[in-house]
Amino acid sequence: MNTTTITYDDKTVRQFMIFSIIWGIVGMLVGVIAATQLSWWQMNGKFLEAITFGLFQGDGLQYITFGRLRPLHTNAVIFAFVGNMMFAGVYYSTQRLCKTRTASDLLSKIHMWGWQLIIVAAAITLPAGLTRGKEYAELIWPINIAVALIWVIFAVNFFWTLAKRNEPSLYVALWFYIATIVTVAMLYIVNHLSIPTSLIHSYPVFGGLQDALVQWWYGHNAVAFFLTTPILGIMYYYLPKAANRPVYSYRLSIVHFWSLVFIYIWAGPHHLLNTSLPRWLQMLGMLFSLMLWAPSWGGMLNGLLTLRGAWAKLRTDPVIKFFAAGVTFYGMATFEGPLLSIRAVNQLSHYTDWTIGHVHSGALGWNGFMAAGMFYWLAPRLWKTRLWSTSLANMHFWIGLVGILLYVAAMWTAGVLQGLMLGETNPDGTTLKYEFVETLKAIQVEYILRSFGGLLFLLGFILCAVNIWKTARSGQPHNDTVEVTVPETEKDEMPLGKTIFNDPVAYSLLGCVLLCLWFFLPPHADKAALIALVLLAVKGVHGFKRNGMKWNNWHERLLHNYLPFTILVAVAVIIGGAVQIIPSLLVNRDDNIEGRLQELYTPLELAGRDIYVSEGCYNCHSQMIRTLMPDVLRYGRAGHDDDFSHLGESIYDHPFQWGSKRTGPDLAREGGPLVEGSEHVRSGRRDNKWHWFHFRNPRWANQDSNMPPYPWLFEEKTDIKALPKKIAVQTQLGVPYEAMDKHEIEQAALDQATAISRTLFEGEAPVTYDGMPEATGEELVAEFSQRKIIALIAYMQKLGSYRVVEKDGPPEPTPLDPDSYRSLTGRSLEYRDGKTAASEAEAEPTN
Amino acid sequence: MFKRIFYEDWATIIQMSAFVILFTVFLVTTIRAIRLRPSERRRLASLPLEDQER
Repeated sequence: MNTTTITYDDKTVRQFMIFSIIWGIVGMLVGVIAATQLSWWQMNGKFLEAITFGLFQGDGLQYITFGRLRPLHTNAVIFAFVGNMMFAGVYYSTQRLCKTRTASDLLSKIHMWGWQLIIVAAAITLPAGLTRGKEYAELIWPINIAVALIWVIFAVNFFWTLAKRNEPSLYVALWFYIATIVTVAMLYIVNHLSIPTSLIHSYPVFGGLQDALVQWWYGHNAVAFFLTTPILGIMYYYLPKAANRPVYSYRLSIVHFWSLVFIYIWAGPHHLLNTSLPRWLQMLGMLFSLMLWAPSWGGMLNGLLTLRGAWAKLRTDPVIKFFAAGVTFYGMATFEGPLLSIRAVNQLSHYTDWTIGHVHSGALGWNGFMAAGMFYWLAPRLWKTRLWSTSLANMHFWIGLVGILLYVAAMWTAGVLQGLMLGETNPDGTTLKYEFVETLKAIQVEYILRSFGGLLFLLGFILCAVNIWKTARSGQPHNDTVEVTVPETEKDEMPLGKTIFNDPVAYSLLGCVLLCLWFFLPPHADKAALIALVLLAVKGVHGFKRNGMKWNNWHERLLHNYLPFTILVAVAVIIGGAVQIIPSLLVNRDDNIEGRLQELYTPLELAGRDIYVSEGCYNCHSQMIRTLMPDVLRYGRAGHDDDFSHLGESIYDHPFQWGSKRTGPDLAREGGPLVEGSEHVRSGRRDNKWHWFHFRNPRWANQDSNMPPYPWLFEEKTDIKALPKKIAVQTQLGVPYEAMDKHEIEQAALDQATAISRTLFEGEAPVTYDGMPEATGEELVAEFSQRKIIALIAYMQKLGSYRVVEKDGPPEPTPLDPDSYRSLTGRSLEYRDGKTAASEAEAEPTN
Repeated sequence: MFKRIFYEDWATIIQMSAFVILFTVFLVTTIRAIRLRPSERRRLASLPLEDQER
């Protein structure tokens, strides 16, 4: 029996762990600041006047407004905190499960330092307002490329390590890591496809509904494959280690893995329920979300039951405490997720803080506690010493737990309360009872409690940092050296060709192709595909009877062959993504739109839109009136039928701006038609002067508003020179701009800006500007026509503008039965026409 | 068929397809998990515990 001595690379693990703790504290601190901004608008910069003793003067500071800090918080927590924690966990466990050192120290170094550079780049660009305007996908395109490259380096290093492993079998934790690497690469690349307009700006290739669908396919699965599957892999490795007993059921872990990977990828559309997303996609998202209950709880129970016989440790061992609570929070969050995906529940919860509470029970409870448990387990091993203080770790646990419970309970209460208030009507049933800002005022106590809960959780993590630092100081960095047996059995003997060209795979693939043909081919041709499918199935059964053992062996061998395993995982996730996205890419184009079709933005309005995106307004304001009565009553216009947001109204929006949370009201109908006699000036719900004063001081419009003021928009100039390139890219993406040269574009922007400025500084009751007290109206018009505030007002006044497209001879819609959503039968048609048994009896004369 | 998903029996088709897909995946993985040899299962489950413990 050959043996070999291996020294593991634990330096990379230590580095990732330390950075995870540092970035975690930064991310959580930013989160706490952002939370306080919702209670006190002064936290958007005004507070700096007090703490700098007047050195800083101003109502706000652009770098720290909620719209810019919130993306920094989410990116820091997801990619910096959990990302680094995940890499630490993966590097440590993969080496031990493969019984080999990581394949390349150089690649590990590039991965580790490259990832930290990306985080630093994000920490600079996001507060600077450089964003793509898509949640958790905000980073600008050069950073996107860096992320993709570093991820590929991670993948190469990981798979290379698998290839040189000394353990033939692939433990289930490695399966979860494989799924993470493959799926995150796919999601990230597709959702970040963009065309640059400059080094710091780009437009996503998808627009409107397509962009929404791709975004939430990515966004949901970022939760699934970045925050869940790698942590499950970590659970399957570290929980048995901490409890010193094997996983409760290896069988259950197999079912857990495949069911989870296969189902998770389909559930993205549940983020777009009751919107203008086609109903079939909404139903798909809802159903697959409900199905997720089973594998998620299977995994949770498998984790908790691994502690059987080790529950006594719960009293003394902080690692077990964190893991047990973390897995329990996984169960709670994965129970709540499907619940919120039920359309009826989603009516209440969506766009409210209930979702925020749900997300944080996962992020703080599952990710945060699993991270802490892993750190406390790893630190003594990585520095060859004992944990500095078990009591401090226990204190971290209890402070963190109270923090999470406070946070989540506050957000549940706030979400349900606000959701109910927003839908409440007056006794006549035709008008709404509460103004939006009244509902915001009603949840202020909960907002403060949330900030306090978040602060407690942050304090807990600071204790963790102290504990780990002291532990490291009390020991020496240590790399484990072990003697391992070199396997004599064959591994990875299945090359790519054999993986694909064998009976089970060939039958499955061919079956899928025929199934698709049956779905998509026109009448009669689809029947032929169905017959071929049945014949193939019969032949497959015969084949299995003849070569059943061989087929079984193929699957057994799969568990020892990482390449075919990876391909199968890729196929599973690609199918789920393709079924959702491809039909929408093919169908949802402007030439298929009937009814409302979005009007194109003028150059100035486009510039204003980019400012809106840059300021992160989408973090608080949606642009999607859902197909729900309270939404239509609140945000629709009087005298317009079906005034929810239609699919065609945002079809040219790159990126879409439907939003995911309403801290402020929806803005889909904020704009309005052109003012009579003007080619440039529009007036919507409010006139230009209202917007001017509101952006300077939102408390002018309503004293209970928590929106930050935007004084810098009155100072900074609009980047008019960038517009020709931006419009060229929009045209490239399919937005039907008419041909304009550079000068025409710039002139058009200037003309509109001048016309809007005149409505502010000329005529009755002109507005004034403190920064230019002596300036005449004409001077103010000339100056402000170049400033950002005017471009933003132009955009606000354009929101919700559309034209109606009539099409000759469109197919007649088929009315559906409102209860079953099936075609009306003869009987239900009679009911529809009012013919009931009672009416018939009444109509017939009795003898 | 494609048209039907959009306009007609979409509710039925999506529900049925989703259920069939889930059930198939669940069935196949469950059968595979059950058929795993007990000795192999125990060996795989104890893989994390094989390296040296302090």
